[in-house]
Amino acid sequence: MEPLISMGVLALIGAAATIAGASEDLESDVGSQSNANSQIQLAPQMGYIHRYYNKAIAGEPVSNGMMCTIGATGTLVLIKHFGMSPLFALVIGALIAAMVHGSYSVTAIMGREASQKRFKQPIYLDLIRSHTPVIMAFAFLTTFTVEIVSYLMVYALAHPFPFVLLSFLWGVVVGSVGSATGDVHLGSERQFQQTEFGSGLNASNSGNIVRKGESGLRNGIDNLWFCSKFGGPMTGVAFGMVVFLGIWILIVFDPARGLKEGWLSNILGFLIVVVLGIWNWHIEKEAREKFGPYKEDKTEEVSA
Amino acid sequence: MIELITANLIWILAIVIGGTLISQSVHFIPVGGAPAAMSQATGIGTGTVMLAAGAGIAGIIAAGTVMAVNQNLPLVIAAGAVGSMVMLAATMIVATWIYVYGVGVIPVSAKVKYDPITKYRQDLYVSQGTEGHGIPTVCFVSATIGAALGGLGGALVYYALMKVSTLPVTDLNLSAVVSTFTIGFFFINSVIPSYNIGGTIEGFHDPKFKKWPKAALASFIASIFCAIVAVVAVGSLGGGL
Amino acid sequence: MSDAKNKYPPNTMLALGVVGGLVGIYLAYFLAPINHVFVFFGALGAICASVWGADVVRRVASYGLGTGVPSIGMLALGMGVIATLFGLSIGGVAGPIIAFITACVIGAIIGILANKIIGMGIPIMERATTEIAGAGTLLILGFSIVIAGSLDYVLVVKDVIATGFIMMIYIAGGMAMLHPFNSNLGPDEMQDRSLSLAIEKAGIAMVLSGFASVAGLGAIAVTMLIGIFIWYKGFNKYYSFVKRDAYKVLDTGMLPTEEEMQ
Repeated sequence: MEPLISMGVLALIGAAATIAGASEDLESDVGSQSNANSQIQLAPQMGYIHRYYNKAIAGEPVSNGMMCTIGATGTLVLIKHFGMSPLFALVIGALIAAMVHGSYSVTAIMGREASQKRFKQPIYLDLIRSHTPVIMAFAFLTTFTVEIVSYLMVYALAHPFPFVLLSFLWGVVVGSVGSATGDVHLGSERQFQQTEFGSGLNASNSGNIVRKGESGLRNGIDNLWFCSKFGGPMTGVAFGMVVFLGIWILIVFDPARGLKEGWLSNILGFLIVVVLGIWNWHIEKEAREKFGPYKEDKTEEVSA
Repeated sequence: MIELITANLIWILAIVIGGTLISQSVHFIPVGGAPAAMSQATGIGTGTVMLAAGAGIAGIIAAGTVMAVNQNLPLVIAAGAVGSMVMLAATMIVATWIYVYGVGVIPVSAKVKYDPITKYRQDLYVSQGTEGHGIPTVCFVSATIGAALGGLGGALVYYALMKVSTLPVTDLNLSAVVSTFTIGFFFINSVIPSYNIGGTIEGFHDPKFKKWPKAALASFIASIFCAIVAVVAVGSLGGGL
Repeated sequence: MSDAKNKYPPNTMLALGVVGGLVGIYLAYFLAPINHVFVFFGALGAICASVWGADVVRRVASYGLGTGVPSIGMLALGMGVIATLFGLSIGGVAGPIIAFITACVIGAIIGILANKIIGMGIPIMERATTEIAGAGTLLILGFSIVIAGSLDYVLVVKDVIATGFIMMIYIAGGMAMLHPFNSNLGPDEMQDRSLSLAIEKAGIAMVLSGFASVAGLGAIAVTMLIGIFIWYKGFNKYYSFVKRDAYKVLDTGMLPTEEEMQ
């Protein structure tokens, strides 16, 4: 395809990917999922009963892979068998995925908390009623935008993989990215806000999550409010970067035009990785200088 | 069926090498699991299987894109490696932003006293009661190597299976079958080393890294059977058994 | 092993999965040329296989795999996909059986590798990976015949693989096997509650594969309706078990007081 048009398509893909990353993380913040959920699972065992949505669906990569695949399946069936326009099919496919995800979420919280009978964790039905639509809404957004990314890659940029398979793949990647980035903001910061800022979770504090919020008992929607200030958008940036940069290097130096172009694109990609690595090191160095050590160096004192 | 196997021995070998590379890559990627998301352990806060799969998948997508237009073997597998590396690097830099600016911790490892690459002191900067947090430089480098290996392995499997069939490379049925196999194969070879690691690993400087030969051998053997099965199934697409 | 109430012994579940799965698949295989509506038997077979798989996951995950429950689900379906395509490419009436046996062999090899070379030391590992690979394969075969209308290799490649629907089967089926135990994880997990959830999730997968079917509007409608019915019954059963097992199911409320926690 004409390179400038490819760049236009890529811009749309990048924007969709950014939204996908953000909504993926926010969805896993409302109904706490995978990593941060381990603390919510632990809390009743340590005697800290909570009013959070213990949504344990196999980890975000698998769960997001599932909803994006189901969305893409619905979309493809509507386009191919029912002759619907893609504009409508993408939306209805995402709606089907959101409904399936809603069913998984509801069964997850009920199951996990029913299996914590001995710790006296009740199941609060109003939590299920109020949080599940929010979860489904974010699931809809994630599925819809990942479908857009996959659809454009297959039908505009001529990627050889099938549409549904590519949706699955990007769903797994968005789950991985969200789990690695945004979950940290929830798990390390918001869940343990009562401890002093600037340290990791002390093992002795395990399970001692914040249960009483600013006014009233804290729940997943409060966490959503907080994480949407930083964790969510950052995850969006992360997934946007993954998709955009990954495809950008192949459009700027198109391997179809020859071997030299192909290798230039690989070198460009490698350069990007090196730059990010140097940036990581720079942040590490700056943090060490600004924050300083936690402990004194005892060995130096003894020898002095 | 036997003719298909004997005619494609070189590709079977390529697939087995690819599977072993995938299995090795999982040992390099710093995975902290659930504790890392709570800033209790160094590394990226995801499960081993899924992070390796996420990186490898980005590589396979890139390799698929390139192979459709240019069938040069070194180019395709390098594209796979680069795709994986870019994915993991972008993820890690954002994770570092969140660790340093959102949580306020310093990227340090608790497994070594001095970072092997930057020679920075580590133990003084570990917060109380944790096993390190964030992604120090050695983990970043280790992750990049791991992603490269995973992308290489995945792309090699994809390339080999595409070449097994007599159908043209642009045939969409072929790329669908091959990509499905590659993904299934990738998951198998990610789960085996994750059983070897048993939870979390910080990278090549972690003592657990020394266990890599076991996973390599297990993946090698498992990949042989899967490769034979895959070659027969893909080879039969062209028409003849 | 957690003290989950074990109402159904492992061999019963194995029989249910293998017999139910193969009977369902072959009923669909032989009846579909007569009238495409009968492909729904394949989905019923797949549901039996996923309940069997969920039970295996339940048993092996209690030993502590170290990587979490999802990975074994992904492993199972990975082996299943590879074995299914191989079996169908050999073709003929024996295709499903060949796929099933191939999967069990690969599963056994991986189980032996995991215990002997990697040294996981889980007593039932070999049996578990064998069973789960077999369950995954039957699941994929069952839903594939619903979507493609037959198990002819060329048709399956065109309608299930080239469209990408195989990944939907992979993940929806895989989740039907691993979600039940994962979502009921805890010291008071009960086998019947987990397995009722497996039926509910497999019902969802049935509805989805019915929707994607190319076997004609009749097949789509019948499969989806039966799937919705199975989902509804499964969900109600699950909810009744949740109410039976939970400490309390409250409409709304504050946290329990100190006295209540004693």
